[in-house]
Amino acid sequence: MSVQTVNTPPTASPIGRRASESMGKLIASLILIVAGVIALTPIVWLLAKTVQNKDDILSCLYFAPISHWTTENYQHLFVKTDFGHVLLNSIFVTDVTVITQLFFASLAGFGLAKYEFKGKKLVMGVMLATMMLPGQVTMAPLYDMLYHMHMVDRFQGLIIPSAVTVFGIFLFRQSILQVPDELLQAARIDGCSEFRIYWDIVMPISRPMIGAFCLMAFMGSWNNFLWPQILMHHDYYFTLPIALNQFNGMYSTAEGSMGILLAGTMLSVLPVMVLFVFLQKEFVAGLTAGAVKG
Amino acid sequence: MSTTLTKPSRPTEPASPGSRPTRAKSSSWFTAQHKLAPYVFVSPFVIMFSIFGIYPIIKSIMLAFYATNGPKSQVYVGFSNFNFMFHHHDFQIAVRNTIIYTLCSVFLQLPCALGLAILLNQKWLKGHSFLRLAFYSPNLMGTVYVGILFQQLFSIHYGLVNRVLASIIPGFSTDFKWLGDPANVMPALVLTSLWLYVGYNMVYFLAGLQAVDKELYEAAEVDGANPWQRFWAVTAPSIKPIATFVLVTSTIGSFQFFDLPYIMLGNGGGPNNAGLTIVMYLYQQGFITGDLGYASAVGWTLAIGVLAISLLQMKLTGSMKGND
Amino acid sequence: MNLFPYGKAALSMFGLAVLSAGWISLHPAPQKKATLTYWTFSKDHYDAYQKLIPDFEAQHPGVHVDLEIVNNNALAARLQAAFLSDLDVPDMTELEIGTAGTMFRGPVKDIGFIDLKPRLEQSGLYDRYVQSRFSPYTSRGGIYGLPQDVHPVQLVYNKEIFAKYGIDPDKIQTWDDFIAAGKKVTIPGKQYMIELSDSTTGSGGLETIMLQRGGSYFDPAGKCIIDSDVMVKSMEFYVPLVAGPNKIGGTTGDFYGATWSKSVEDGYVASMICPDWRTLFVQRGPTKMAGKMGIMPLPAAVPGGIRTSTWGGTMLGITKRCKDPDIAWQFAQFLYTDKARLAKNFQQTNILPPLKEAWSNPAFSAPNPYYGGAPLGAIYAKYAPSVPAQYTAPTIDTAKAKLGEALIDCVKYYNDSGDKGFDDFVRAKLKEKADDVRAFQARNPY
Repeated sequence: MSVQTVNTPPTASPIGRRASESMGKLIASLILIVAGVIALTPIVWLLAKTVQNKDDILSCLYFAPISHWTTENYQHLFVKTDFGHVLLNSIFVTDVTVITQLFFASLAGFGLAKYEFKGKKLVMGVMLATMMLPGQVTMAPLYDMLYHMHMVDRFQGLIIPSAVTVFGIFLFRQSILQVPDELLQAARIDGCSEFRIYWDIVMPISRPMIGAFCLMAFMGSWNNFLWPQILMHHDYYFTLPIALNQFNGMYSTAEGSMGILLAGTMLSVLPVMVLFVFLQKEFVAGLTAGAVKG
Repeated sequence: MSTTLTKPSRPTEPASPGSRPTRAKSSSWFTAQHKLAPYVFVSPFVIMFSIFGIYPIIKSIMLAFYATNGPKSQVYVGFSNFNFMFHHHDFQIAVRNTIIYTLCSVFLQLPCALGLAILLNQKWLKGHSFLRLAFYSPNLMGTVYVGILFQQLFSIHYGLVNRVLASIIPGFSTDFKWLGDPANVMPALVLTSLWLYVGYNMVYFLAGLQAVDKELYEAAEVDGANPWQRFWAVTAPSIKPIATFVLVTSTIGSFQFFDLPYIMLGNGGGPNNAGLTIVMYLYQQGFITGDLGYASAVGWTLAIGVLAISLLQMKLTGSMKGND
Repeated sequence: MNLFPYGKAALSMFGLAVLSAGWISLHPAPQKKATLTYWTFSKDHYDAYQKLIPDFEAQHPGVHVDLEIVNNNALAARLQAAFLSDLDVPDMTELEIGTAGTMFRGPVKDIGFIDLKPRLEQSGLYDRYVQSRFSPYTSRGGIYGLPQDVHPVQLVYNKEIFAKYGIDPDKIQTWDDFIAAGKKVTIPGKQYMIELSDSTTGSGGLETIMLQRGGSYFDPAGKCIIDSDVMVKSMEFYVPLVAGPNKIGGTTGDFYGATWSKSVEDGYVASMICPDWRTLFVQRGPTKMAGKMGIMPLPAAVPGGIRTSTWGGTMLGITKRCKDPDIAWQFAQFLYTDKARLAKNFQQTNILPPLKEAWSNPAFSAPNPYYGGAPLGAIYAKYAPSVPAQYTAPTIDTAKAKLGEALIDCVKYYNDSGDKGFDDFVRAKLKEKADDVRAFQARNPY
């Protein structure tokens, strides 16, 4: 970068400069506040509506008087619909998926990061190539395949194909590359088996990345809509997104059902938000690790 | 059990082979498992990936030339799938809608995200964490739930959007049809996805901004550059990798737009198919009508299109900014 | 050695996975214990049939009927998916008239329902039903569904508004009479003579009107005739009712639910096209209008023409997966041919059965207080025999969608340019859409 001779700053006198600076700060703050309000309003609206009875829900613009607040929407949700069952389905599918993905991706990521072996370039190249393809390409043949394996409309059909996540592997590979080789060498000299190196050394060090990955994988599976919609037919196997969508279509205009629908939506959104609050820092670091490095 | 980044304390100097007599395992087992380890670690993944990742890709290339009745029966039809697709009015509408949506996304969302990131990056700002959480929380909600929520917000007469707009803008009627009017469907979708994704892109930009070398800014200030010049001279080149990443991923993601319109338009393309996207078209043809072969053909067309555009984008941003 | 090295987040997920797995294994998917699984999409049917099932099970010991309610939007898709994947196919299912055709896509041998024609003829039911109701469920000579209804259509009107403007329903014979009255009543933006949509063809809109005039999506052979002369004329009749300066039709966009109820009570629409099933929705929704609503026949398209049309319909099908079609057939007859039960069904749902001899049961002529004491059943029964037939094809859903698009385009044209060149536009547009449907039909290799 070229260094020019020092010039006098082209701006106005210090007082004018400070004024325009504060003006700039004011405008910036205003923009941020308005943007923040816009970002949060729908969520707060959702929360507010879930505690309103069926008359207030239509007539009140935003909040209802506190005396009107009611938990009947949540009660009806669990009593009149099988939300509890569907919630459990989602918890099951998502948690099993995340753990499976975590294990496979971290193990393979470790292998790709810290070892050389024949075919490594080929494997990585193929994986990279498939990352460029949108997932919809494989939906049709995958469905066909699962049909022949009798995994359609079953939990296995959701969990097993999603055990492989190329994105996850690269994430872990990226982060494990940072682990100093000396650590591993020292462990080997101490007599650690390779798996123990993975289990006792690399994984504990990578906990922030694991945290980020868990959140991302959880979000991806919890909110997944298209593939479960295709795969699941029987409402015993439905996950939250599909069940809520169906409820939306079926009952959305019936008496009192908007409250139930919104209550269900609120509860479905809560787990991810809670998880995020705990894993914020790791998440941001993990999200951008893949991007900044390219 | 600590979860921090500190390394476990352990002496790091290499010991000579003979100085530790307590090595329990035999050396041949040791070297063997050291050599085998990578294969053992990576192979479960590779096997699963071949079955559920590679094989379907290959099969879908084949399937694209068939017409099927669900997974039960297949008939070879050669190129007629593609032929029909490109002449099919609905497909053309889907492509048009998807492209319009992508353009709006890219040219609206990204500048907004960048702008917010810049504002959020100001040193004098308080409540940085809270604001970041606020902007990001829409993205935490997940497309399905945002779709359900915004369908309610955009509804006629009682929806929040109409009621707020009616109180601000004189003459605005609360009966303004968003999702029921073909002309307003796309704006509604674009606005919803703006709300949903700005925070997500903003986080990336923020990370990129925070990684910019502060000294470059100081040097620019010393040189007498005003904020605008500082942006173009320092910020823009520094965040180029992240910006490219965000651009390419946004584009790819926009082309795959399905959940929001599907949910908001009542499980369909909306009035006059104003919200029909390519993936929705694929879903309807493949999984409702049942022709998996046609769905594969559509899928591949989408894939090739997306690939071409991504490569083009990367080339453009690479060569453009390379002329600094 | 670490027990679990992945950290707290992963550990909690692991714990939840184990717990939920335990719960799920304790509550496995219900095995098909029932002799007959029956799918319905209507809550009203569900409630009504639940009451009737114990009687049937008492008459047939050992038989257990399992009713399942499935979202209407999803039912056709789920059924199709079930047929295609051989999974969880019900024994019997109801199917809506608009989607029944899609089940006939593949070769005849692939049709998931059994052909009921032999049974219908053997039991004589074929002649005792309103014949036109079989056509939507017929494909290549086989009849795959038992119609559950006739759904004749009348106009339900707001007596107070009519009286206020001096409109005598008995004096309205044809649509021209109706439109003239409509001009008096309509206050644009506030009050419309009749509830009609400018964007959807179903919901008592264009479809109902076109059927009354002899229009149809397909001819009996399954060929698409959206661009026929009759259809062009129907579109040209309909659009000025909902668009342009003289429109008398309006809608809030919903046809049931809280918003719609309120609009009816507010007098936003003075009359509505009401098939028998909808009269119940009207009773339940805008409850404040009790006693203030009247029923009149649909105005005729031409003097002396039929004073009714039809909207909606449900068939009952027995699938090929059913292990005991005879017991299924008996259940179908139990629900739909026993006159006492049909009367009971009517009392609960206001729905007229297609079995003509059932209409003589006194329950049908009972006065209905909501409609000012009008004998609802008798009124609808009077017009039932003249309900027009509807023909179907596997591309019925495409055809419906295309007609909807045509309607929107024609409405837009009319709003912009009025009558100028309207006929040419409608003809060209309908031909374009019909060609789309034909291209689709040509693709079907079966």
